[in-house]
Amino acid sequence: MQNKLSFHQSSVNLEIIGLPDYSNNENKDQISIISQWKLTIVDKPLIEGKIEHLGPIMDAFYIYSNLLIKNEIPIYESKLIDIKADNLHIHNIVLKSSKANVKPLVLKIGNSLLSDTINCFDQLNESPKVRIKKIDTPTKIPKKLNFGLNKKVKFVNLFIPPFFAICSLILFSSAFIYFYSPFENIEKKELTNPE
Amino acid sequence: MRKSYVNNTIKVNEFDALIKITVEMSKYLYPYIREILRSKEDIKENSIIWNDFNKRFIDLIKERFNVESMRVKKILNQAENGEIIIKYLLILSFCISNQGYQKLKNFLYDF
Repeated sequence: MQNKLSFHQSSVNLEIIGLPDYSNNENKDQISIISQWKLTIVDKPLIEGKIEHLGPIMDAFYIYSNLLIKNEIPIYESKLIDIKADNLHIHNIVLKSSKANVKPLVLKIGNSLLSDTINCFDQLNESPKVRIKKIDTPTKIPKKLNFGLNKKVKFVNLFIPPFFAICSLILFSSAFIYFYSPFENIEKKELTNPE
Repeated sequence: MRKSYVNNTIKVNEFDALIKITVEMSKYLYPYIREILRSKEDIKENSIIWNDFNKRFIDLIKERFNVESMRVKKILNQAENGEIIIKYLLILSFCISNQGYQKLKNFLYDF
């Protein structure tokens, strides 16, 4: 018998079906091996898929919602899902099937349904009864954002500050050569010692 | 931006407390926030909710904010403020989960 958990927010319902991982001594009502999930949005076609699709779809919604808020270009593209903004209020979702000859599913949702969906995903993430294993999928995010997401320090960046520091010290100290004249000092010494 | 002659800087614990209050209020008011967002999606059919909200929002801004500030003037301009208000409402609607406090904090630090 499989476990079934539902996460509900206004017009959106997310259903997770799966089994606990008994090898990990988990409780009966836990879900770690997800066999199926269903995302029901009122007045829209049912979205369902395998576990490997859930993680990328959740990530797509989260990244897209961040782009929308941060004044970036709200476009998210991946092998599985594309989300683009028609305008500030309507969002165009294209779900691509992994099977050949199956047309992509196109959905148009408003801000209210987008926030309902995000809140359903939040509930799933925060639920202690479900454990999701994340799978990385290649995505196409505008280059401007790629910089923002990838906060790894570049190797070159480690050397640039000391390089500039040393250069500025050299320039600063070389400027003093013009102020320091060794001949004047010799003359002064001669004046003090008239011998 | 506030209508005040005293320029006090906010302390970290006060900032955290304000975020917590905002998140709790968003949880409580989510159905209303959602309806306002929905009304703007189909402005021809549901213009009453959006217009009422916008009018009240502007009244409160005029009452509590320094209307001479350029940023406040931008918020008060009804032709331009739609985008700003929608973004604020979206931020609030995304932060109603148990971890909403951390999410809102991250959004604010990213601004």
